[in-house]
Parts: sequence; structure tokens; C-alpha cells
Amino acid sequence: MSEREGYSQEVQRFLDEEPDAQLTERARVDAERFREALARYASSLPVPGRELDAAVMSVVGARPLGGVRGLVRWLFRPRPVLLRPVLIAAGLVATTALGWWLGQQGGSPPVPGALIAEAPTVLVRFELRAPEAVQVALSGSFTGWDSEGVALSKNAQTGVWSVTVPLPLGEHEYSFVIDGQRWIPDPKAHAQVDDGFGQTNSVIVVGPRGVVRS
Amino acid sequence: MTGMRRCAVLLAIALVPATRVGAQDDVRAQLLARGAPTAFADRVAQIVGAAAAEDLPIEPIVTKALEGWAKHARVPPDRVVTVLERLAVQLRTGRDVTVAAGVDPAPAVVAAAAEALGRGVPAADVQAVMRAAPSAEGAATGLTVAASLTAQGLGTDAATKAVRDAYMAGRPASDILEFPSVVAGLVAGGVPMSDVARRILEEGGLPLPSEPGRGLGRGRPSGIPAGRGPPDEPPGKGKGMGPPTEPPGKGKPSAP
Repeated sequence: MSEREGYSQEVQRFLDEEPDAQLTERARVDAERFREALARYASSLPVPGRELDAAVMSVVGARPLGGVRGLVRWLFRPRPVLLRPVLIAAGLVATTALGWWLGQQGGSPPVPGALIAEAPTVLVRFELRAPEAVQVALSGSFTGWDSEGVALSKNAQTGVWSVTVPLPLGEHEYSFVIDGQRWIPDPKAHAQVDDGFGQTNSVIVVGPRGVVRS
Repeated sequence: MTGMRRCAVLLAIALVPATRVGAQDDVRAQLLARGAPTAFADRVAQIVGAAAAEDLPIEPIVTKALEGWAKHARVPPDRVVTVLERLAVQLRTGRDVTVAAGVDPAPAVVAAAAEALGRGVPAADVQAVMRAAPSAEGAATGLTVAASLTAQGLGTDAATKAVRDAYMAGRPASDILEFPSVVAGLVAGGVPMSDVARRILEEGGLPLPSEPGRGLGRGRPSGIPAGRGPPDEPPGKGKGMGPPTEPPGKGKPSAP
């Protein structure tokens, strides 16, 4: 309120309830009348409820904050998310497919026995002289160390058990399993190595031209 | 939030746990299917999961676990677990050595490096083989062969030099895979291992079966390319087995 609107500074000071405001009698009457008009107008305004506070705070809270504080607020602020079931289903299918694909990639055998992924197999003959054995099997990295392994056939005349299996190029560890219980190394293998369990594994390295053993 | 963004969020949340859980569940299921106790299978799955979380190759651990369980009549589960934990440490060392050499720590390379280190090849020699190889696959093959030659009784210096020299001469990985058979053939022919090492260190490497005038001694390949001969006939008796490496009548099948 100012003098340009028809009120003197003295009237304005009076309305502001300053204690030293000095008014003429006429100015005081005008000022009292104006104050009553203001009071009537104020009483006609609706009283704001709690919803106004909430509305104001939601607007204030939604204002973007810059920098790290803004990022933290964005990350931790709970918010409703609308999802279509078909999108959830599509996402899960895509996730499963991608997970399977990555499993194929990352899970491709990194063991030395399969170093050359596209390598052809080579037929390798295994033999063991064990005339007293009832059953002989071949178990190794190329059979997934299945205790049943690959069965060998016995030559009744010589007592030699044998089998020929296709092996991929690379290194393979293996053992013979006699009568399902005794694990014994192949004396004709390239090398014998400690299996870590207190026993010995045999090692052969299969090249494109086959395997030469001692 | 758009549909694409929703899918991206779902993928990001689900992807990594899915692959890791898959590896653990797989080995657990395999062991349980073979009759292993649940507690043992769970412990193995835990070790595999920890290795996967470190981006270590898990296949050697899985293979060793299956081997340990196959031999369980003689090997208690606790010992298998100890061996697996030691193998994980070895794989970690293999990865560190690989990274220190400036080579991509692909699973096959890390596994082969761990194997070579485990067989006593010094880290510096492992790195030298890696650097000489033309590719990650070649590095893995070279390290595996060096480890095998070492296990055959060749010194680590000769074993790694044979591989390095071959790569530096431009030989392919398939030639290097022949080295263990070449050494076995020389030994079978009466050449002492010390002379084999001397040939490698002083005379320029190992001969290959196809090289004229450089026979392999008494041995000859017992393996034959798949589909080129009857599998049940012993070597030397089948038809169409590929060219012999020695004059007829002088070769001796390696199988007894």
C-alpha cells in the first residue's frame, strides 16, 4: 500500500500498527474504515486445510536437485511404476534367453582337453593288460569322470582289454577303473600326474596325427 | 518409463544372478544325480559360485569335483573340497600371471596357465609362452603342451622353449599339439630325455612326424582320424589309416 493508491504514509504506518503513527482526526476515520474493510475481506477468504500443505510440499519436493544429492534422492525415493504384464513376460523371456546364451559363451569348456573348439576328433585306442579283471572301464575328463566310464573289451587269449574312442584334440586326463573299484593309471600314457587326491591320473595329448605312446 | 526402459531395468536386475546361479545349480544337480550328499553338493556349488563371482574359469573346478566324487570310495568329501579350494587359488594365480603378461585372461588361457604353474612351470616362462603365441587360443594350447612336456619329464626350460620357438617360427597350434607324441616317440626309440632336452635347447626344436628324414624312433601314432579306419582294429592292422611315418616294417604300434 502506498501514497499512489490514495493513502498517506501516516495512514500506512497506522495500519501497520506502528506505535508512533500520528494521524489527524479525519485520517484516523479513513484508516479505521479501511482496516474494517480489510478485516471483512480477510474473513471472507476460505481457510486452507492440510491438503494445501501437502500439495505445496509435493511441488517443492518434485523440484529437480542437481548433483549427487539429486541422484541420491532419485535413487531412494519410492515411486509408483506402471508395468504391462506383457512387457514383464517379454523381459523375463529375453533375460532367460540371454542368460542361456551367456552361459553357452562363458561356460564353453575352458579345460585343456577342449582347447580347440572346432577341432576334429581323433580315434584313440586304449589298452590294458589285466587278465584277472572281470570288468575294465575308461574314465576321464572326456567322459565327465563318470565312474562307469567307457567299457573295454577283453581278449580272452591275451588278457588285454581294449577300446577305441574318439577324442577331441588337446590334453586329456584319465584312469582305468578295474571292477568298478580300483583306479589305476595307464602305463602307456604320455605322462602321469598327481590327481590331488593321493592317486595318479594319466595324461595324453591328442594331436591331429594321433597319439604316440612309449 | 517407456517399455524399452522397463525391459532394460528387468534385464539388468535379473541378468547377472541368472548366469551365476546357473553355474552353481548345474554342478549341484550333476553331483546330486550321481548320488553325492546334499551338503557336499552345496559346498561345491558354493566354491563354484565364488569362482564365478571372481570371473575365474569354473570348468576346471567342476571337472575336478566330478572326478573327486567319482573316486569317493577312496577320497573323503572334505578332501575333495580342500582340493577344489586349492584349485581356485591356483586359477586366481593363473589369472594374475596372465593379466601381468598383458594377455587377455580368457578362461582357456587362465585354466592352462594355472595348470602349467601347478606342474612347476615358472611364471616367467608361462608369460613367455603367452607372449609368443599368436592368439589366446594358441597361448592356451602352448601352455597345455608345455605343462604336458614337463609332466613327461622334460625340464621346464626345454618344454617352454620348444613351444616358444615353434610359435616364433610360425608353426600352427596343431603342430605344437604333436610335441608330446614326438617326445614319447623319441623316448620309445631309445633317446634319453636329457638328449631330447638338448636337441630342443641347442639344436633348434622338435621334429614333426611329417618332416622328411626326422623320424620319431620306434613309436607311431596309435590314434587315427575319425572315420578313416575301423575303430576296433588295433593300429597297424586297419586299412586306410593314413600315411605311416616310417618305412613299412620298421614302425611299431605303440599299443601293446
